[in-house]
Amino acid sequence: MKSVILVQRNEPRSNESENSDKLFELEELAKSAGYCIVGEITQSKNPDRRYQVGRGKVDELASLVNEYNAEKVIFYNQLSTIQIYNVSETCKCEVIDKFHLILEIFATRATTKRAKLQVELAQLEYELPKAKNIVSLLKQEERPGFMSLGEYEDSYEQDIKNRISRIKNELKTAKKDRESLRKFRHDKGFSLVALAGYTNAGKSTLFNTIVDEDVRVEDMLFTTLSPVTRSLNLGGRHVLLTDTVGFIEDLPHWMIDAFRSTLDEIFLTDVILLVVDVTEDAEKIRKKLATSHEILWDKSEGAPIITVLNKVDAIKSDELNKKLAKIEYLAPNPVFISAKSGYGIDNLRKQISQQVPGWKRTSVSLPMSDDGMAAVSWLFEEGVVHNIDYGDYIEVDLEARDEIILKAQIYEREIFVD
Amino acid sequence: MWDIIAVDISGRHKIKNGYYMVCAAVSVVSSADHVEKVNQVKIKPFWMDSAPQVTDVVRIIEDTVKEIKYGGTIVAEKGDMYNKPEWVATSMFSKNFKYQESLSERLAIEMAHHISLSARNLLIQELDIS
Repeated sequence: MKSVILVQRNEPRSNESENSDKLFELEELAKSAGYCIVGEITQSKNPDRRYQVGRGKVDELASLVNEYNAEKVIFYNQLSTIQIYNVSETCKCEVIDKFHLILEIFATRATTKRAKLQVELAQLEYELPKAKNIVSLLKQEERPGFMSLGEYEDSYEQDIKNRISRIKNELKTAKKDRESLRKFRHDKGFSLVALAGYTNAGKSTLFNTIVDEDVRVEDMLFTTLSPVTRSLNLGGRHVLLTDTVGFIEDLPHWMIDAFRSTLDEIFLTDVILLVVDVTEDAEKIRKKLATSHEILWDKSEGAPIITVLNKVDAIKSDELNKKLAKIEYLAPNPVFISAKSGYGIDNLRKQISQQVPGWKRTSVSLPMSDDGMAAVSWLFEEGVVHNIDYGDYIEVDLEARDEIILKAQIYEREIFVD
Repeated sequence: MWDIIAVDISGRHKIKNGYYMVCAAVSVVSSADHVEKVNQVKIKPFWMDSAPQVTDVVRIIEDTVKEIKYGGTIVAEKGDMYNKPEWVATSMFSKNFKYQESLSERLAIEMAHHISLSARNLLIQELDIS
């Protein structure tokens, strides 16, 4: 396991608890990437153009790196190429920032082709503004070409730009494929439900509990990178439940853009399950919910939201009520559950059934014949048969989506006319 | 359910030799993700010779909200208050004030935005001040 040292520069007079939360998030990210944290350095200071933190702090960092044999230094703050170059020259080890770390995690977790393309796109977008500086730093005095006045920068930058546009085209095709798949699922009568929420809120654990499956669950950030979809039976009615990549605070726009097609899984569903970890501090939950609302606003196309308050078994009920009072105005349709123990799952299923687009209930009469029996088995497949009476006719009490009921009624008329 | 007053100001850019702004205040009853009821809407035009400062924005909002007969927290976009931290903005108002957070608050502000924008467009056209 590689040993790393974390560095965080805080704005002077900024909120201390917020700063420690940010450092904690960086620790979690580093652990998720498989690093062993051997030291941490924080400093309150306005940003230094050359080193991000102060020159003295960098010397302190260099001696810490030397003492613990650290192989990498990870900054919470976004670093410029010059800062990366200067700090790594002083510390004699690799220096990265939080965004680079997230990209590293994404790169190790990406399994599908689409996820790999998204990660590569994000890496290239991260690399692009640095491209010119990287070349100038590496070839400080050197000039390529016959009379030594040529430039390296243009070709390197252009290569990155070309690769970005190629990946974007490929992702566009992949997006179309997924859209047609979604349409196909809707046409087949499946309602779509997506799990959304912050990373490590317990979405994958809930997914496994509710569909009784075995998707990889770990106590680390970004366990799920590619969306996983499974069928969920709600009292005879099948809906498709999708587990998605978690949200994270302060993600730069190019990273969100790169993973937009993954987030589309959430925006184009019929019901959104917004999963929240209630063991966290009320203020932190409030902030996370507010960010989730911001992400969902304008894109979720009015899909109802169920706020799934997870891990309720880990806190006392009066504490839970106090927290709920503080976050109520951001928590539509709250449901208390424990994905681990299974508490509240039945209630959640009921809530989902109530929120998925309504099916109509009607009764259909079919003749007692081979055709009639064939129609009955088709109705069993496509809808929920609440009651069936075999008399002179087959009386079916049926609940299904509009198209099926319409087809059944046409079928009913045709059979009787024949 | 909560009572909120969503506000939005249109026209904070210079036309002719001044700033012609319209503020809309929309009093609604909201749940976490829906606007359940619209209580009242008030619009008020303002003219200023120079670009509005934060204190001017506060005065414009308070003057408009004064005409709403329902109570509730004033909700606005962060950009309307020149992205000042929430505690700074809150301390400048005599009533409860907050930035938008929930989907319903955002929806209410969207309503206020459309109302103020179309009211301003209408006034500019009718008064021929563009």
